[in-house]
Amino acid sequence: MATATTKAAACSEEEAFDILDQLIDILERHPLIDEVGFVHPSQIQALSEDVNTGSLSTEVFQKDEVLDNNDVQKKRLAFWHGDDKLGISTHFLPLLYIAAKHKFMAALMNYRILTEASKKQMDGDDQDIGISHAFSKIEMEVIRHSKALLLLCGDFGTAWNARKYIGTSKQNLLLFMDELQLSTLILSFAPKTECAWSHRRWVIKMLAGKCANLEEILEQESLLVEKLAEKSKMNYRAWNHRSRLVAYMSKQQMLHELAKSRNWAGLHVADSSCFHYRRRLMLRMLDDAMKEQDLIVCNAEVESLSVVWKEELDWNEVLIRRYIGHEALWFHRRFLSICWAEKLIGHFSISNGDETLGHNENHLSVFMEHELQLHRQCSIVQDSEFDDYTKQAVLSAAYILYLHTQFSERLRIQVVDKRQADDLRTLLHNVCPEKNSLWDYFLQT
Amino acid sequence: MGELAAEKHVRYILAVEKKKDSYEAQLMEHLRMNGAYWGLTTLDLLGKLGVVDEAEVVSWIMECQHESGGFGGNVGHDPHILYTLSAVQVLALFDKIYVLDVDKVASYIASLQNEDGSFSGDIWGEVDTRFSYIAICALSLLHQLDRINVEKAVNYIVSCKNMDGGFGCTPGAESHAGQIFCCVAALAITGSLHHVDRDRLGWWLCERQDNKSGGLNGRPEKLPDVCYSWWVLSSLIIIDRVHWIDKNKLIKFILDCQDLEKGGISDRPDDAVDVFHTYFGIAGLSLLEYPGVKPIDPAYALPVDLVDRIFVLRRQPKA
Repeated sequence: MATATTKAAACSEEEAFDILDQLIDILERHPLIDEVGFVHPSQIQALSEDVNTGSLSTEVFQKDEVLDNNDVQKKRLAFWHGDDKLGISTHFLPLLYIAAKHKFMAALMNYRILTEASKKQMDGDDQDIGISHAFSKIEMEVIRHSKALLLLCGDFGTAWNARKYIGTSKQNLLLFMDELQLSTLILSFAPKTECAWSHRRWVIKMLAGKCANLEEILEQESLLVEKLAEKSKMNYRAWNHRSRLVAYMSKQQMLHELAKSRNWAGLHVADSSCFHYRRRLMLRMLDDAMKEQDLIVCNAEVESLSVVWKEELDWNEVLIRRYIGHEALWFHRRFLSICWAEKLIGHFSISNGDETLGHNENHLSVFMEHELQLHRQCSIVQDSEFDDYTKQAVLSAAYILYLHTQFSERLRIQVVDKRQADDLRTLLHNVCPEKNSLWDYFLQT
Repeated sequence: MGELAAEKHVRYILAVEKKKDSYEAQLMEHLRMNGAYWGLTTLDLLGKLGVVDEAEVVSWIMECQHESGGFGGNVGHDPHILYTLSAVQVLALFDKIYVLDVDKVASYIASLQNEDGSFSGDIWGEVDTRFSYIAICALSLLHQLDRINVEKAVNYIVSCKNMDGGFGCTPGAESHAGQIFCCVAALAITGSLHHVDRDRLGWWLCERQDNKSGGLNGRPEKLPDVCYSWWVLSSLIIIDRVHWIDKNKLIKFILDCQDLEKGGISDRPDDAVDVFHTYFGIAGLSLLEYPGVKPIDPAYALPVDLVDRIFVLRRQPKA
């Protein structure tokens, strides 16, 4: 990057704006570009020489001060595009950024001046045709230059805002779709860009209530997150975006999301965010069910959810046994077990045909015995050479202690008796002495 | 155990400031206000704020103020609550809060509170508990907390509490150490810590410590990162559970993240340094009472002597 800066300094302002115009031109002639990469100059060269790609590369003639003291012009490739993909040579990034920012800020200033002028005009009279025409022209300038700038610096909030101002005033469905497309493009190479995510939410807010296919849009958003999550593990912004959309979903959609994302979760057991997303869906459904006024409907809803819960518990156990030492899986189990014991266990028994609502304690003790059995099996450190076994033992013991703490407080039951508590203490002190002050505190209560 | 190369870090920060026209700096120019807070607070914690041209900084800050009363990340940039807090904090460092039209800034922040008590970042409406913390922290520093509905603000934060005791950015969002800091600090400032389940949250927080390296991460399964030395640690201190982590190991981790040649601190050992992680590393060491670093307030994220000046020695900002 430092090399690019020193070399690029040789370019004139006019040349910089010329390169920017070429970029904007490419973006406008190829609106379906869905992937952008910043590539080393040698890579752009290689791409352009590959006759099979059927691509187009944009040449920029530039003085190369480092190699030559004479005025010999050296050919440099600034862009490469093909197959709806765009490559930008890193050599030109500093130049492009300065030019893009300059042009955008200038366009924005003009837009603001015009907005002020037209506000004054609006009082009473129809808007002057001249101002109307100038407005369209300036809006286009803002849109074009903000797009180029955002590709180079996705966090430039003022540029996103300018597009929001225009979007708000025009209320045009196609424009809103363009905004989603631009955001997708930027997220494809910068998936943590906060502004790009919040811009999507603004678009959805604009669309909600205006168009019938919100469900379809939510589906697309979910897919986008899953796709990006593949490359960008535990991306908080991405998963949070998916989580926020849950507020718009019906129960049907939530169940569908839970089922659909299961496979992905099973292949990404270290991704705590994806398991949190499942918890979000499940908890929202549970809260909705419990809020149901009609008691009969409420019970039916909770019973059907208890089946879903049991399936999740069983599946989680399979993963715990298969993928040893994963925090994400054990954390997920803490949540599942607590909700299960506190809210669902009786309802599941009923749905299973076992009408012993009054015998919750039996179900609870059967459940806890099962969990203790799981713990016993997971806390065997078969080979202390492999960290995973030790981690599994720690996680398993911590899990039991967590339940013990939770249930003694909330359900007034003792998950472990004195002897089991002593065993737990011994195990934890052995496999994780670093956290002894934590273990001892909770074992004494 | 290594040592803190304080001199090197001071020189690093001053050098970064001088290179503000470099490409790397240009890419960050939209958040220069935040950068000013990170850099200058670090200098103050190391006792070197005096080397900075105060008048130049203050005049630049005021140039970033928008007619709405809010501050942008840099001159000509749109206002946002994120930069507004940093502006107030930096002015506080120089004891220059009084140059502000306090009423105007307070009005801007108050206008961002929503019906449900939450706060938006700007006029475009994005809600996040970070913004709740920012509003409460900034207004508290300006002695203007009564400009917002504190009860509703607290209720909204509490609605973002999860079953694991942690907090996310919105109701139902994943617990994240950064968001937890914001929520816990905001509750502390508003005298509402009784809403926090200290045991459960303390457990979640101390599970962030990696037994081997001593570093802290922000969520389960993530790698340790120096910035969590601040967010996790300050939260633990506020809820009085910091004795559950190994302080010495954490100190060692932070010191290992230093670039002893060029100065600066990185997210983890041997990575590239930046001002953001330099600030959080030093702030973390301050909370760990490392010698040579001034004490920092865990809720306001400003030196304790400054916070004392604002709250104990003076009740109203100078006219």
